[in-house]
Amino acid sequence: MSFIGLEPGAVGSAVMSTETKQDAAARFERDVAPFLQSLYGGALRMTRNPTDAEDLVQEAMLKAFAAFGSFTEGTNLKAWLFRILTNTYINQYRKKQRAPLQTSADELTDGQLNEAGENLGMRSAEAEAMAKLADGEIVDALAALPDDFRMAVYLVDIEGFSYKEAAEIMDTPVGTVMSRLSRGRKQLRELLREYATERGFIPLEVTA
Amino acid sequence: MSCGNPHAVACVQIHSWMWIYLDDELEPESAHEVVHHLEECPPCADVFSAESIIRTRIRQSRETVQTPEGLYTRIFTQIQQTISDE
Repeated sequence: MSFIGLEPGAVGSAVMSTETKQDAAARFERDVAPFLQSLYGGALRMTRNPTDAEDLVQEAMLKAFAAFGSFTEGTNLKAWLFRILTNTYINQYRKKQRAPLQTSADELTDGQLNEAGENLGMRSAEAEAMAKLADGEIVDALAALPDDFRMAVYLVDIEGFSYKEAAEIMDTPVGTVMSRLSRGRKQLRELLREYATERGFIPLEVTA
Repeated sequence: MSCGNPHAVACVQIHSWMWIYLDDELEPESAHEVVHHLEECPPCADVFSAESIIRTRIRQSRETVQTPEGLYTRIFTQIQQTISDE
């Protein structure tokens, strides 16, 4: 049983039995509106394109409304909405994408992994230099990560979901979330270090 | 990345727990060992603060995302339409 409660045929909340469609729409709007900015942010990180992100949010919210009766009130609505957003992206949107799918999380070689692991020990001086990067540069670096890594990093590091919630949203075991997160974070930090070096925030001799 | 001093838990183990610890997902007993280790190992403490700086910065980057004007209206208008279509 999923704690997000998206299973088909799940028992709806008691409210549903008596409320009209109009009431349901009003309740949906009231409950969902506070998460719209987060959802759009998530969609933007997934699609990497504002127009596609808007379409994705809109499509996902129509689905969410249609399935709202199966959402158990009092459980995690934000996670439930993100799961629908993610499913919509994976099942429908990603198929239409013009660009070929990027390297999947599970296709990295051991050599690449070891390489990624060697740079783990960052110093605070270096981190402070990397923190000077503009928001746009951080967004670009995140956008450069492979799909599965980007999703894990986005859900946990930006949206603040727990491992368990991220696992439910991505429909993967918690161990997979942790592994994608770890690889994604390492790649992201390497990119940020590169950007910071290019911008002259980190002297070359430090990174050599 | 070691201060050269002996620790109850090795630096390499502490590093492998770093993200789980910072994510607040490490079991309490191990989390306690991390805290203890960081108190007596300045190099590891520096690596943890470096990671904290980066995490904070990455999370801040979300605040620049602006929801497009009209998205809210478009979504809820469309939902109203699906109701009246039925």
